[in-house]
Amino acid sequence: MKKSAKNLYGAAPGQAFYEGRDAFMKAALEAVSEQFALDGASFYEYEEKTGLLRLSQRHAYGVSFEHEENLRPLPGSAAARAIETLAAASAKTPGGSFLYSPFRFDYCDPSGGHSVIPCFGLVRMERSPRKRRFSAAESARADAYLRSYLRDYYKAEFFSLHRKYDKNVTAITELTEVFATALRVRESFRHILSGIQTYFGFDRVRLYLIDEKNRKLKGELSADIRGQIKSIAYEEIPLEAGAHRFADIVLGRSSGAFMERYKDCVLYMPLAVQGVTIGLLIVDNLLSQQRIEPEELAMLKSFGGQIALAVDNSRLFDKVEELSLYDELTKLPMRRYFNQRFQEEFYRAERFKQPLAVVWADIDYFKEVNDTYGHQIGDKVLKEAGRVILSNLRKIDFPCRYGGDEIVILLPQATGMEAQRLSQRLSQELAELRIPVPFSKTKELRFTMSIGVSTFPQDASTMEGLLEKADDALYWVKSHGRGKIALYSDVAEEKKKAAEAAETKKT
Amino acid sequence: MIIWLLSDYDHRKHLAFKSLLARFSAAYPDTHIEFSVKSRHSLWESLFAHLRDPKRNPLADVMEIPQNWTELFSKLGMLSDLSSSLEALSQRRYPDFILKELCRHEDSRAYSAPWWLEAPALFYRPQALKDAVEDPDKELASWEGFRAALDRVRAPARRGNFRELSVPGSSGSVSVADVLPRVWGRRGGLFSDDFNRATFSREETAGGIEDWLELAVSGKIELFSADRFENGPRPAEDCAFIISSRKIQGAGRSGLKMLPYPGYPSGGGLMLVYNLAVSASTVDHGAAAAFVAWAMEPRNASAFAESFGVFPCLKSVFEERLRDEKETVVYRRLFSAPELKPNIMVYPTAELLLERALWNLSLKIARRDYEREDLTRELIMAQGEADYLLSLY
Repeated sequence: MKKSAKNLYGAAPGQAFYEGRDAFMKAALEAVSEQFALDGASFYEYEEKTGLLRLSQRHAYGVSFEHEENLRPLPGSAAARAIETLAAASAKTPGGSFLYSPFRFDYCDPSGGHSVIPCFGLVRMERSPRKRRFSAAESARADAYLRSYLRDYYKAEFFSLHRKYDKNVTAITELTEVFATALRVRESFRHILSGIQTYFGFDRVRLYLIDEKNRKLKGELSADIRGQIKSIAYEEIPLEAGAHRFADIVLGRSSGAFMERYKDCVLYMPLAVQGVTIGLLIVDNLLSQQRIEPEELAMLKSFGGQIALAVDNSRLFDKVEELSLYDELTKLPMRRYFNQRFQEEFYRAERFKQPLAVVWADIDYFKEVNDTYGHQIGDKVLKEAGRVILSNLRKIDFPCRYGGDEIVILLPQATGMEAQRLSQRLSQELAELRIPVPFSKTKELRFTMSIGVSTFPQDASTMEGLLEKADDALYWVKSHGRGKIALYSDVAEEKKKAAEAAETKKT
Repeated sequence: MIIWLLSDYDHRKHLAFKSLLARFSAAYPDTHIEFSVKSRHSLWESLFAHLRDPKRNPLADVMEIPQNWTELFSKLGMLSDLSSSLEALSQRRYPDFILKELCRHEDSRAYSAPWWLEAPALFYRPQALKDAVEDPDKELASWEGFRAALDRVRAPARRGNFRELSVPGSSGSVSVADVLPRVWGRRGGLFSDDFNRATFSREETAGGIEDWLELAVSGKIELFSADRFENGPRPAEDCAFIISSRKIQGAGRSGLKMLPYPGYPSGGGLMLVYNLAVSASTVDHGAAAAFVAWAMEPRNASAFAESFGVFPCLKSVFEERLRDEKETVVYRRLFSAPELKPNIMVYPTAELLLERALWNLSLKIARRDYEREDLTRELIMAQGEADYLLSLY
């Protein structure tokens, strides 16, 4: 009899593969219900701290379902006895016959610690009052059956752990690469945030950086759970104690109570390089209110140094790039950068058949300014010229310090007339400037600019041609009294007329 | 096709769905359907798991969701627009109060189809109230009247298991589902009318929550009930009052009568609506939408809702059920000014925040170390978190 029972009840467990804990519990409850003609079977986890039994899965009337219910066993009842003694106990009440089969497993801490996490609870098997009660022999068999089934629980746990482990290994290898390459990509912050979201999938990740000069914590980017990234540059937090909790965290003054409240679903990670805090990375599961798994927290914290380094490196990279591409004095891009952009803009103009204007400006008598007042005053003139130019351009315009006191401005989608209007505005503003010269008689210096303008496609059909024509127009202004603006088309017309006049005079 | 159904304390719902599927399979033998019943918590987790890692955590093709989850999950791109594939939606064949919360910001799109609804109400056994209440209609119209009656009710002799009040839908602790009808009754809510700030600690809201907690503090409802664990929900015969949003099985046989939820003198109140949604990632949107359309057919929607004591949402069958109800007069009062939970993006999370606060308070009450300040503190913290969420989403 015992042997046949083993054959009957022992074969099914141990052979199946379960995709996680829920699938296992469902299979266990369905199997035991079928084997022992039950009306219902429920899986409860027992929380020792509160003394509550938490229902998570139930199989009743042929349907398996998850359900949430937190109840406590009646002291002295069969359920309470089963929990206390870890031995099966049965009871007959007006509600039916019940058999409680307790279980206890210890499994490894998924966060990678050396501790074990106990899983403690019971399975309740039930029959309606009209049906036969559980005999002692049947109770023993059902309990043995469940225990043999639950021995496979580790497989379900293993599956879940394996999934996590697999994900973690992928994250470690690929995120390291992401952070390492962040230096080389154009939008490195975006790259870092995308990397974090791809492998962790938080509800939101936000990056703030410290602006030391203005003592502010400035928002950079935010990535949502779908990986969509947006700028949070509008967020500026004064870096003062008490100004904002983010500032407090960066300054190391956040309150313990507050952090305690959020610790399960928010991680505030100050980013530090060589002991200096450079920013704050905030990851949260506030929308879902889901706990950030301890192993995820640990892993992200372990990446903290790399993230900080990647962020700092990309900032340095930007700084180096800025220094190599921009003129320190005028803050205008330099010739190398201009050549690259000119090519792009010229192709765009050609392809979309749009106009493109080139403005070539030269500060009048700049050499004399340097010779008379010294290079310091000359630098002030250049600096002011750069400021006025930058403040008058559209976003798509591109100025450049072409060399010495020569400035070239690209005006995409602008006609000769529009370029002329801009040039007039610049000339006017520059003419109104007063550069203080304390040691001179007049105490101040005024200056003007000569400007030549050429346009695509009217004046030239190549980049070199455009520059050449703008330079021609500038030369014409310089040779006709300076401080003026000339369109190459007008200059060409003038030249033509002059040539015709000369020809007439000759004849 | 895979369907996720929300679990219910009343197993009749699961059985009704199983039989609905059997009929669908008979009508469409080529469509293979599997379903699983998920708890609210587990459904929420599954939806977010999908967002985090769609490949490893695929969604079901069709899902039952609480009506006020629609805005959140449609904004997160997880639900399909059903307006063009479902006649009931395109023709707007639902009562106005349901349509109002279907799509707050868009009239032309709908990301879920209202399926069934329930209305919290008060049931009482006149026999048990004999010496406690003279005029139930009048005395039990207000919360105070109901509360005073609860105190006056005495257990009849030889009824050891008698309970003054039973709440069959309880999950053991005090939950959001328990307190919100009372909060609404006090004209409170979780957010201000313009949804710009959370109002958990506003007098009306906190007062509504406190009213319900007081029932637990005074022992009128038993938290984490051992009796319920051992014997299941109390039979109607053992209770003087039952607060339920479902029609109670065998109510007539047990001599139960019905009244609107106390505290709504002019009728009306909070209704809970559940919808069917089609996942945006389904490989066969046509088949999934076809199932939803079939489930929404008047005959199917009506039979499903009837089997576990709730109302179908489809206007024609909803009105038909209202006409045929034994308690038509009470239900007409209940549906005279129905209100739904706002379908806004952060509402489901706000409910989770309140749920956590109520769980902490329930544990305190069960340990008998609850004080009024605990409620204030929990609500202020939860409100702060909800306000913060509003600033983010």
